[in-house]
Formats: sequence, C-alpha cells, structure tokens
Amino acid sequence: MNKKLLGIIGGVVGLALVVLLAVAIAGEEEADASIGYGDPVVTGDPLPVYNSGSPTDPVVGLTAPETVGADWEENEVRIEADGRAKIVLFLAHWCPHCQVEVPVVQDWLDAGNLPDDVDIYSVATSTDRLRPNWPPQEWLEDEGWTVPVIMDDQIGTVGASYGMAGTPFYVVLDGENNVVRRVSGEIGTAGLDVLVAEAQAAS
Amino acid sequence: MSAQSVDLYNTFLAALALISLAGALGLLVYRFARGKEAALSLLGDSALWLAWMVAAVATGGSLIYSEVIHFVPCRLCWYQRIAMYPLSVILLVGALRKELVVRYYALPLSFGGALISIWHYMTQLNPSLEGGACDPNNPCSLKYVDVFGFVSIPFMAGSGFILISVLLAFYMRTERE
Repeated sequence: MNKKLLGIIGGVVGLALVVLLAVAIAGEEEADASIGYGDPVVTGDPLPVYNSGSPTDPVVGLTAPETVGADWEENEVRIEADGRAKIVLFLAHWCPHCQVEVPVVQDWLDAGNLPDDVDIYSVATSTDRLRPNWPPQEWLEDEGWTVPVIMDDQIGTVGASYGMAGTPFYVVLDGENNVVRRVSGEIGTAGLDVLVAEAQAAS
Repeated sequence: MSAQSVDLYNTFLAALALISLAGALGLLVYRFARGKEAALSLLGDSALWLAWMVAAVATGGSLIYSEVIHFVPCRLCWYQRIAMYPLSVILLVGALRKELVVRYYALPLSFGGALISIWHYMTQLNPSLEGGACDPNNPCSLKYVDVFGFVSIPFMAGSGFILISVLLAFYMRTERE
C-alpha cells in the first residue's frame, strides 16, 4: 500500500510540476508576432500547386505573378518581367533541407558560378516563430546570405502564388516572367548549374 | 509565452527523459547481472506504478506542448500519442486493481511506441528519410525541441516508452509468479 501511495504521490507531483510550468508559460507576454514577416504585393494569377510526382509541370510557359516586397531592412526587392532570366528560391527557416541548401547555394555563388545574364532571388516563407531557427533573418545573416530576400507574409502569399508545395522550392523564370521550370527539394550545385543553363536557354 | 520559459520547460522534460533512459539502462543491467528474482524483488508492485507515472507525465507533457505551447503534432507524433495516451489509463487501472495481466495489453503499446519514436528520431537526424523537401505544413523531420544538442520530442517519448517497456517486461511479476 505504501508503494502504491508512493506511486500516486509521485505521479501527482510530476504532473503538478508539468502543469505549474505550463501555467507559468501561458501567463507570460507574447513576443512580437510581426518579426520575420513582410508585406509583399503579388499581382497576377497564382500558379497551380507544384506536383513533384508529375513527369511534366503544366505551368511551364505560363506567366508567373509579379512580386514586390522587401527584405528585413526594408530594401525593396522586385521579381518582375524585367527582361532578365532569374531563379527564385523559396526557403523556410525551420526546414532542415533549406538549412543544408543555403550554405551550398552561397558557396556556389561565392565561387562565381552565377553568370551575369541570370539573377537570383529568395523568398523567406512559411515563417513560424514557434518553429526552430527563427527568425529567418538571423539565420540568413549567419549564413552570409547575399541573395536578395523578400520576406513573405504570415499566410505565405508569395509561396502560394508560385505553387510552392515544399521547401526548398526553385522557380526558374525567363525575362518575360514565364515559368521555365519548378523544382522542390535539395538540388545542390549540380542542380543549380542545370537551372542556370535552362534559364539562359529560355532567354 | 517567452522563449526562455519554453526552453525551461524543454530542459525539464529533457532531464526527465535522460533520467528515464538512464533508469531503463540501469534496470536492464541490474536484471541481467542479478537475475530475475532479484529484479522482481527490487521494485515489487511499484513497477506498475512507476510505469504509470512515466506514461502520465509523458501524456501531460505532450498535451502541454500542443495545447499550451501550440506545437502542432506531426503524423509520427500522433502515432506515438496513440500508443502513450492509453497507457496512462490502462496502467493506472491495472495498478489500482493489481491486475498483472495488464502488461500483456501495455507492452505492445509501449514497445510499438518505442519503435515509432526511434524511427521519428532517425528522420530528425537524417531528414532525407522523409524525402528531399520539407512539407510546408508539418514535416516530421522538424525539430521543435533540441536540448543539449540531441534531445528532441521523439527522443523524450522514446525514453518513456523504453522505461515503461523495461518495467513491464523485467520488473513486473506475471500471474504465474
């Protein structure tokens, strides 16, 4: 009986500790919920959601939406039909694949692999302050990220507009903002070379 | 809710997980070093109560993660919940009624839960096991918690499942005994 009582007391004490901590946590002030988000403006029809299982992407050749946004220092970034081929990379701060891909892309850029006739942009999307590696700007700064960044809004408008189905997510656009290719997942330096070649060929 | 408080809560549960894992290893060593009878007499009827305590704290801890801190459980988290939550009820009933047969109902849940936790932890260590891209909604490779560089939520759950399994398998008398 004593052991039984001991078990009950131990269980109750353990649960009480957990509940006490939870009450302490719930009673505290919320952090600034706006950190890590931007207020981008997207114009044009959204692209259908990318399906990685499909052998062909039906949106190739369609015109992608144009996006005007800003990075965390309020520097304006525009993804539009400016006559230049471009690669747009969508990243989520909490995504382990993005955390692997970002330094790979940065090293590839630092090595001078991006030709002069192709631009690269990034979108920090799916931001969630409850998830690890938040906020995205700290992570990207720590990685020495030199690619222009658009901070997506809280509902991920930019990501949804390009049909993002997973991160990292690449969209290759020609100079008229038509979709050349979409691909999701880690692609590494070999994949980047392929995307650049396709961007150049399309332009 | 501050990040510091969540860190405190994470550290508290991580410490419990490590204690559970160390306890399970210690009990296993004791069982095989000293024999079955010594193991059974070490804890006696307390084994079932201890197992219930672990399940109850794990159940409460996971509910606080989802309902108070608002971490969204992923698919594998739900499978582990399916295994852990019933344990906190059936082990209590078994302990109160001193029904030793409860181990036959509880062990499949705790052992199966441990296997799922191990797989979940592996997907966090190697996200490629889940695929090449992150589901933007709620990938199982996402680490909401990372204490001491290696303790995540499935690590905590797995520690609980392992301790419960050891207690039920090696430290609880069967009806024949």
